Amino acid sequence: MQHGRRVVSLPAPDVRNVVALHDAGAAIAAALMEAKRAVVDAIALPAAAAAALAAGASLRAGRYSLRTRPEEPVWRLDKLTLHVADPHAAEAAWQGLAPGVAGSLLAQRLGAEPPNLLTPKRFAEKLAALKGSDVDVLKPAELRRQGFGALLGVARGSANPPRVVVMRRKGAFAAKPLVLVGKGVTFDTGGISIKPADDMEEMKTDMAGAAAIAGCMQALAARDSPAPVTAVLGLVENMPGATAQRPGDLVRAVDGTTIEIIDTDAEGRLVLADCLAWARAKFAPVAMLDLATLTGSILVALGGKRAGLFASDAALGAAIAAAGAQTGEHVWPMPLDAAYAEPLESAIADVRHCVPERFQPDACQAAAFLHRFVGDTPWAHLDIAGMEWRREPDDPWPAGATGFGARLLDRLVAMRFEDPDNWPDAGH
Amino acid sequence: MLDIGFSKPALPKTGALAILIAEKEKLSGLAAQADKACGGAIGRALEAAKFTGRKGTSCTILAPGAGLSRMVAVGLGEAAKIDVRTAEDAGGHLGAALAAEAEAAIACDGSVKAHAASVAYGANLRSYRFDRYRTKEKPEDKPKLSALTVLTDDPAKAKAEYAPLAAVAKGVFLARDLCSEPPNVLNPYEFAARCEALESLGLDVEVVGPKEMKKLGFGALLGVAQGSENDPCMVVMRWNGAGKGDGGKGDGGKGKKGKKAKPICFIGKGVTFDTGGISLKPAANMEDMKWDMAGAGTVAGLMAALAGRRANVDAVGLLGLVENMPSGNAQRPGDVVTSASGQTIEVINTDAEGRLVLADVIHYAQKEFDPAFIVDLATLTGAIIIGLGHEHAGLFCNDDKLASQLEAAGKASGETVWRMPLGEEYDKLLKSDIADMKNVGGRPGGSITAACFIQRFIDKDRPWAHLDIAGTAWGAKDKPTVPKGAVGFGVRLLDRLVAAHFEGGKHDG
Repeated sequence: MQHGRRVVSLPAPDVRNVVALHDAGAAIAAALMEAKRAVVDAIALPAAAAAALAAGASLRAGRYSLRTRPEEPVWRLDKLTLHVADPHAAEAAWQGLAPGVAGSLLAQRLGAEPPNLLTPKRFAEKLAALKGSDVDVLKPAELRRQGFGALLGVARGSANPPRVVVMRRKGAFAAKPLVLVGKGVTFDTGGISIKPADDMEEMKTDMAGAAAIAGCMQALAARDSPAPVTAVLGLVENMPGATAQRPGDLVRAVDGTTIEIIDTDAEGRLVLADCLAWARAKFAPVAMLDLATLTGSILVALGGKRAGLFASDAALGAAIAAAGAQTGEHVWPMPLDAAYAEPLESAIADVRHCVPERFQPDACQAAAFLHRFVGDTPWAHLDIAGMEWRREPDDPWPAGATGFGARLLDRLVAMRFEDPDNWPDAGH
Repeated sequence: MLDIGFSKPALPKTGALAILIAEKEKLSGLAAQADKACGGAIGRALEAAKFTGRKGTSCTILAPGAGLSRMVAVGLGEAAKIDVRTAEDAGGHLGAALAAEAEAAIACDGSVKAHAASVAYGANLRSYRFDRYRTKEKPEDKPKLSALTVLTDDPAKAKAEYAPLAAVAKGVFLARDLCSEPPNVLNPYEFAARCEALESLGLDVEVVGPKEMKKLGFGALLGVAQGSENDPCMVVMRWNGAGKGDGGKGDGGKGKKGKKAKPICFIGKGVTFDTGGISLKPAANMEDMKWDMAGAGTVAGLMAALAGRRANVDAVGLLGLVENMPSGNAQRPGDVVTSASGQTIEVINTDAEGRLVLADVIHYAQKEFDPAFIVDLATLTGAIIIGLGHEHAGLFCNDDKLASQLEAAGKASGETVWRMPLGEEYDKLLKSDIADMKNVGGRPGGSITAACFIQRFIDKDRPWAHLDIAGTAWGAKDKPTVPKGAVGFGVRLLDRLVAAHFEGGKHDG
């Protein structure tokens, strides 16, 4: 096959439908995977559509393998040439997309790493090695000093100590930064409230929020984005153990809020609560956005086809939805009503982090919980549970980790946070 | 129903008096008069209770003096933000606080004076109680409130505003009654009989039985019903009120004639009891499944409301009434049924029966009435509770205009909806190996795939909205205008939709 020729033909996709273009690109890549090089006749496509096609092909080509012998059939494709009417325009469009695609591929690889290889420490080292950001790594002693009681409670059952990684891009103009907060649970057993064994291996990707933000930061660096952006990634492992957190425990978050622990498997919101409250106090951000594989509830609600978007700020929410539509990483608005906080009342603490009864709108309740920790900072929360993993190739993604969110964030920054004259904070 | 009257402000000589106070507002009008008559006791009591007029708070003072047995003050919150919903909720709080009194007066001469009818409406909605089967209740345990006098500067105006609200409240109460009735009482034919009783309002009611349904090809609905001893039926209710105006009467439902606008159409799932069938539900809380007919109950209540207030609109309501039971003759997982539309359905889970019922009724409604739009209501999925809880009904809609009209009507009525997605990526999960579709698409996105299933029976280009009310039909605790139990969710929402957009020749759809 390597030296032979192979021709595949596809119906022309709808050039306005970014998902269809991604899918077409992915299908081309999958069909021609055994060829080292391939040429696509994309002469009929406008430049932007051709670039989207290339993005789909690149996303599907993502590979993570620790096999000692190659998988059959071997994926050899590593160069794709598109014949287009206007190569300059197509090249320019591709240059706009390529950093985000590379960021997604980084997030895919991080998401695929086995949890014994990607511990919080190792994850932090990988992040520190990324170019283009100033990286600070907060270790347990420092986290204790700073009062990260909620995050440390999650981490205490694990032999692998936690890290909080701060990645800063100062940007090209002086402004309060956009802060991106990521859930990075490198493995989530559920802790003492342990999960059922079936499919538990997929919990290695419970750090997909942090991975997507890492991918975004890499993309911003690659295209030398002028935006001031700071990432705060909470990296912990959630294990049962003699020192593990118990249901009923009481922890104190960075901002002093006391939290009653109900279900140790609702750990992501504890990690985020500290990171959000800390980032808010430390950086006075213009806006905060967090990404997390947070709840099974959002998977039931939206079926793993869209991420749940909870926004305290309508303009920020609309910008995220637009970035999602443009990148094919779709989100759907979900309610952030005060009513969802009511069942979080605790008998002994300021708040409990989840509700013990079954059949709860846990995604909405988790968002209401997080809302407590952001004050009046414009904020949005993306619950990406269900988007981070595919058992079969789907949309442009290969089977495995998808890297969902990296391209959306990259586009969001490009759309809304790169123009100092139109900075969202200008009115203040 | 509370007996509600309106009269000019005058301090009652006996009985209970309720006052409504905005935040940081001083006692004025009747409240000030009452305070004076009681020698300042009311002002002192409110101060001692630290009552500030905050929204949702109330303060009760027993025997304050001047012959009054009880004084109730209810907070309205910020004066500038008082609207219809505030007034309704305040009325609801009052209704609850006055339950121990047989008669009471409400002073609506202060900040809430523009909304006297809404205060009365709220009190009435809260007064609902389903006690038909409590035979041993002691008189002292029963709420006594039966009559309310609303004191307002313009009683005639308030009375006129209240009349249509009373008709809607009757519809809400009917829907609540139907949901509350035990399933051995309210089988499909008993449900239909209660609908037929509404002919006295001018509705035309037709009951379609199993023989006729077989002729119509209702294979999906009949498959659900086949395990039960209780025969299924479909109820078709018509209100032909367009052009009749105030005091007009429906034309007895002689159907489409002349150049009348297309009717609007509401369809309800009415599973009078849902055991799940062969895919039997777990025993815990299965009694809740008596209200798996809430969608149909709401449509019946809505039609009663439209007829009761002589709405200037042609509307048709259809109810699919069945019982879902396991038995030797019950539908099996794996069965394939042919729906009235001709599409074949592989039944994977017999507990996903509501959509099968709706499929045939929706097809019939389009063929028979060619409606301007369809709104269906159904307690359809547990997934919507995991998604939205009990705060909002799930709204699935193929038409942005209808969706935003429903969202606005939801906010105005307090029966809110939250839009959820539809789309090819969900619809494809219904693919079957041997039939046109499966009746379930899996746990992830379960409410969405259920909506996609229904959409397959909606004609292309027909505006349609599906309300999944599984989380909103029943309340675990009291709310200002809804005592715990059956909500009657959707009657007020859809009445509002009709009033705002589809009456008097208006046809925004």
